[in-house]
Amino acid sequence: MTTLDQLIENESGTICNICDEQLALQLLTMGFILGEEIKVERIAPLHDPMIITSGCNCLSIRKKDAKLIEINKAS
Amino acid sequence: MSVVEKKLFNVLLVGNPNTGKSTLFNSLTGLNQKVGNFPGVTVDKKSGTFKVNNQVVNIIDLPGTYSLAPNSEDEKVTNQYILEAKNDEIIVVVADVTNLKRNLLLLTQIMDLGKKVVLVLNMMDLLQKNNQEVNVEKLSKLLGISVIPINAHIGKGVDELKNAIVHFKANPVKFIEKDSLANAVDETMLRYGKINEIVNQCFSSKGEGKTSVLTKKIDNILTHKFYGYLIFLSILFTIFQAIFSWSSYPMELIEKGFLLLGNWLGNTLSQGILNDLIVNGIVAGLSGIFVFVPQITMLFAFIVVLEDTGYMSRVSFLMDRILRQFGLNGKSIIPLLSSTACAVPAIMSTRTITNLKERLITIMVAPLISCSARIPVYTLLIGLIISKDSSWGVFNLQGLLMMGLYLIGFIAALGAAWVMKKLIKSKEKSSFIMEMPIYRMPRWKNVGLSIYSKVQVFLFDAGKIIVAISIVLWVLSSYGPSNTFEKIEEKYAVETNNYSSLSEKEINHLISAEKLEASYAGIIGKTIEPLIQPIGFDWKIGISLVTSFAAREVFVGTMATLYSVGDEENTMSIREKMMNAKNAETGEKLYSTATTMSLLLFYAFAMQCMATLAVVYRETKSIKWPLIQLTYMGVLAYLSSFIVYHIFA
Repeated sequence: MTTLDQLIENESGTICNICDEQLALQLLTMGFILGEEIKVERIAPLHDPMIITSGCNCLSIRKKDAKLIEINKAS
Repeated sequence: MSVVEKKLFNVLLVGNPNTGKSTLFNSLTGLNQKVGNFPGVTVDKKSGTFKVNNQVVNIIDLPGTYSLAPNSEDEKVTNQYILEAKNDEIIVVVADVTNLKRNLLLLTQIMDLGKKVVLVLNMMDLLQKNNQEVNVEKLSKLLGISVIPINAHIGKGVDELKNAIVHFKANPVKFIEKDSLANAVDETMLRYGKINEIVNQCFSSKGEGKTSVLTKKIDNILTHKFYGYLIFLSILFTIFQAIFSWSSYPMELIEKGFLLLGNWLGNTLSQGILNDLIVNGIVAGLSGIFVFVPQITMLFAFIVVLEDTGYMSRVSFLMDRILRQFGLNGKSIIPLLSSTACAVPAIMSTRTITNLKERLITIMVAPLISCSARIPVYTLLIGLIISKDSSWGVFNLQGLLMMGLYLIGFIAALGAAWVMKKLIKSKEKSSFIMEMPIYRMPRWKNVGLSIYSKVQVFLFDAGKIIVAISIVLWVLSSYGPSNTFEKIEEKYAVETNNYSSLSEKEINHLISAEKLEASYAGIIGKTIEPLIQPIGFDWKIGISLVTSFAAREVFVGTMATLYSVGDEENTMSIREKMMNAKNAETGEKLYSTATTMSLLLFYAFAMQCMATLAVVYRETKSIKWPLIQLTYMGVLAYLSSFIVYHIFA
C-alpha cells in the first residue's frame, strides 16, 4: 500500500484509509474525504512539511502524519 | 408616554475559518463591538449589537471551527456555545460558497442538534471567477432553512440577513438520527454522503477556478526553495528599514508633547508631593508608553497585512521544519516576529498554536527577541563605545552592532527553545495541519481593526502595569530613610559659597542626583552592587536595573537623573557625562568597552519587563512559568555579561 508521504510534487491518488482516528476525523472535517482525490501540491524546500489538496481544500501536513494516509496512487 | 418595544435577540456567528465571518461581523456591528475574554479560557470573545426596526440584536462572533469535534481551545469554546444555545437563540452559519460541501458539514451537525439555524453564503462574488453556479432557492428548499447569499466585503445582502434573523422561520430537515452510529468517522462520511446529494442538485462547477490557479502561480515563487527564503528575508529587512526611518519623527513629536504637558502641569499645579507624583511618576510613565505607539503600530500593520493576504501561512510552511528542531512550530513565526514590537501582544498571539508544549516554549523564548523598548537603551550605550562615523567597509559600525544585538537575541531564543524542548516532557502529539488560504488583497477594514486591537493590548494591558510600576519607582526614588533628604538641601543652602560659580539650575541638578543616591532606590542600587560588580556594574547602573522593571527604556531617564543632566531629551549630554564618568576606586573610565558590552548583553537577555511577566502568568494560568522565565533569563543575562566583561576587561 502506498502512503501519501511517498508521493512527489504534483502526484495524486485517492484516499483509501487513514490509520489514526483523530487524524482521520480532523482531515475529514477539513474536506479530505475518503475515496476522493488527493494531490501533493508542494513539498517544502527542506523536504517537510508538504501542501496537499483535495478539491478546493488545501492544507499543510507533516510527513509523519502523511505516512498515516494510505492511498491508491493514480497512474 | 410612548413605549418603544425592544425585543432582544441573541445571535451566535459560527463558521469554518477563512469564510469571511469576521468581515460579516464587522459590517453587521460596525463600531458597536467589544473584545473580551471567554470566562476561564484565553480565547478572544468578540461581541456586539445591531438594530433592526427598533429591535436590538446581540451577536457573538465565535472562533472558527470545522466541525463539532474540537481540536483546539478556540474550537472547544465554539462547540460549547453551540451545544448550550437556548431555544430563542439563532445560530448563523457562515459558509464559503465556493467550498460548499465542506462548509455544510458543520451546518448539518448544528441542524441535527435541533438548533435554530440561518445559513449565510459568503463570497458570492467569487463564484463567477471560479466558473461556479449555485441555486440558492433550491438549496434553501432542500435544507428547509433560510439561505442568504451575501458579499460581506461590500456589505451586500447584510440587510436581508438582518431580516431573516428577526423574522426567523424554518422547517429543517434531519440528516442523521442521533446515536445511530458510534464511530465519528463513519458518521461524518454518512453526512458527506447526504450533503453530496444536496450539493449535486444545486451547485455546479466547470473546471478549476481562476483564484486557485493564481494562488499556485504565486506559491511557485513565494515557497520556492531559494527565492522563498530570500523573499522572506528581504521583506523582513524592508520592514525594519521602514520602521526605523519612519517612526523617529512621530516618536519625537510624542516625546515633546509629553514634555510640554509635564512642564505645564508642573508649573500650573501647586508645588508639592502631588505635583511631583503627577509629573515625574504618572506623566513620565505615560510618555514611556505612548512613545512606542508609532513603532508598534507600524510593525503590527506589516504583520497583519502579511497575515491577511495569506502570506504568513506560507512563511509558517517554510519555517516549520527549521523551528520544529527547536521545539517550536511553524506557527511560532508570527509571535516571534511580533516580539520585535512588544512581547505582550506577541505572547497573546501564541493562542493559535494548539500543541501545549510548543505554545509554552514559544511564550518562554519570545521575550529574548529584542523589542522596541530596548532600542533607546541600545542606541545610548552603543554611542558610548563606537563613534558615529566609524565603519567597517561600507557598513556603519554602530548599525552593525545594533544588528548583532538583534541577531544574538534571536539566536538565544532558538537556543533556549532547544533546551526547553529537551526538558519539558509531553505526550501530546505535535502536528502542523493548517489550512493554506488562497492569496487575496488585504481587507483593509479587518486589517485596521486587527491593528487597533493589538495596539490596544499594548496600551492597556502593558500600559497599566507600566504606569503602576512607574509610580512605585517614583516613590522609591523620591523618598529616603528619615531626614536624609533635608540634610542634602541644608548642605547646599549652607555651603552656597562652594557652588557660587554654578547657576541655580545646575545646583538643582546636583541636589536631585544626590537625593537619588540617598533614596530607597539608591539604597537598593548600593545593596546589589557587590552582586553586579563582577559583571562590571556600579550602584548607579544598579539603580537603573531596578527602575528598568517598568520598561527597559526607563534606563535612559534614570541615567539622566543620576548624572544630573536634567534635560532627558538631550541624549548627547547624557552620553558625554557617561563617557566622562570615572570608576570610584580605580579612577579609570567607568563605561569602558567591557562594562558597556556587558550592559548591552544584560539588556538583551534579562527579563526586565513586569508587563510581560504578567501576561505570561495570565496565558499559562500559573505562577510557575513567569518565575522560570525570570530566573532563566536572569541567569543567562548574568553569565553572558560576566563572560563578555572578562573578555574585554
